[in-house]
Amino acid sequence: MMDEKTRDDLLKLFESKLNEAMRLYLETCTRCGVCTEACHVHASMGQVKYIAAYRAEIVRRLYKKYFKGRGKIWPSVGEARELSAMALDELYEAAYSCTGCRRCMVYCPFGIDTQMLMSIAKLLLVGAEMEPEILTLLADTSIEKGKSIDLFKESFMQGLKRLEDEVVSKWKLEAGETAIPVDVEGADLLYVALAGAHSIIPAAAIFNAAKENWTLSFFEAVNFGAFVGDPTKTKLILDRIVSEAKRLKVKEVCICECGTAYRVMKQLTGKQPFKVSSITEVHARYIREGRIKLDKTMVDGAVTYHDPCQIARNAGVIDEPRYILQHLTDDYRELTDEPRYNWCCGGGGGLVAMGEDTLDFRMKSASVKVDQVNATGATILATACENCHAQLSNLNDHYKMGVDVRFLSSMIADALIQS
Amino acid sequence: MSDDIKVDKVFDLKGLPCPMPVVKVSKGIKEVEIGQVIEAQSTDPGSLTDFPAWARTSGNEILKTEQDDDVIKFYIKRNA
Ligand code: SF4
Ligand code: SF4
Repeated sequence: MMDEKTRDDLLKLFESKLNEAMRLYLETCTRCGVCTEACHVHASMGQVKYIAAYRAEIVRRLYKKYFKGRGKIWPSVGEARELSAMALDELYEAAYSCTGCRRCMVYCPFGIDTQMLMSIAKLLLVGAEMEPEILTLLADTSIEKGKSIDLFKESFMQGLKRLEDEVVSKWKLEAGETAIPVDVEGADLLYVALAGAHSIIPAAAIFNAAKENWTLSFFEAVNFGAFVGDPTKTKLILDRIVSEAKRLKVKEVCICECGTAYRVMKQLTGKQPFKVSSITEVHARYIREGRIKLDKTMVDGAVTYHDPCQIARNAGVIDEPRYILQHLTDDYRELTDEPRYNWCCGGGGGLVAMGEDTLDFRMKSASVKVDQVNATGATILATACENCHAQLSNLNDHYKMGVDVRFLSSMIADALIQS
Repeated sequence: MSDDIKVDKVFDLKGLPCPMPVVKVSKGIKEVEIGQVIEAQSTDPGSLTDFPAWARTSGNEILKTEQDDDVIKFYIKRNA
């Protein structure tokens, strides 16, 4: 049973999400069914509950019960539904089986954004303390890091020293150059990586090769506040990077290969004295400007590229990876004729971060992605997102796909020509 | 292993993708009793800021951090 106070509090959270666009999404669906086959989860697993419009309906029924529509007809809205413990369970199932890929939105004649509607579900779950605990812990860890970074700066910088040899093995430095500059005021570009060495080493080598005036952020790019759907935490995590960029007076913030980090940074940063770029855009620029040159013989085998939903469909970085790949291989094979319709890898929305708890679902719900990759006959599956890379690697093992899952940046770093 | 600390369980987190090191330590620490110690091994420099921030958030305690050429070792006492 849900008490009145809890229900009222949750309904206030619901109301806080009801902007113009959200109301439109809630009041427009005509149940035309076009989105039925659009969702990879439904296409792979075939259950009604995984149809995009069905997920949305779970939220819509609550809307019908508690909020007044603005005089429009609501052709699709089924029975109004009370906000109860059972309704929260349904919201969980709908929201945490949706990767937020927005493929359904591209198909919907009204452009209904199911991912946005799921953000209502996620916020209600946060309010009811029913969200996945690990995502909140990860978000809180990021926020804590922002508060106490001065305590850990020294050991972080020491840790980076261990990576320098590997950076230099990919690109030799000239006298006086630093392999991984940190905390450089007046640098042109702030690179925001992830915790892993694999997110720092290739990127550093490429920046050095391009003679970029760069500096590495103390913070990790990923925003777990966004995964768990908590706007306050999302903002706090984002603000750490914005403050660092302002303090160092950089002109550009470059986000590593992490889709959510890039979309959140690009869409929520607001007007700032710096621009936000994805690392893929920066790498394409270096090639275009002749600042780096690549050796195609370093890539052995046919290559296909998985567009991370948050970087391609949801943030428009589509041409750049293809431009880069033209300089890495003569045997590039598209997954689909129209990259905007690319299948999601099945790992977004926090599912990969939830680890083994979601592994079985992630494998079952992405079989269409596996078929798409296999149909190309490529032996190298490149991508530009940590989340996608982890999920595609899991799929590769599970389905014995026999491909080499590679980060685009690591392929570039391995192909750098040092003249 | 650190000479002066008795380790109850070791977690090899080397080379894992983000955010698996923190996820695995969070879950793994529940496999020992309160008061016992785990050793988490990482190769990621980011873990040098992630783990202390995680320990503060989760109420656990990093007793010691050691870095050598190959690996970073955290000795973490379960307090919560
Ligand atoms: S956003 Fe993606 S995962 Fe979610 S319902 Fe739409 S197609 Fe499915
Ligand atoms: S395509 Fe759009 S309008 Fe049609 S059922 Fe799906 S969400 Fe509703």
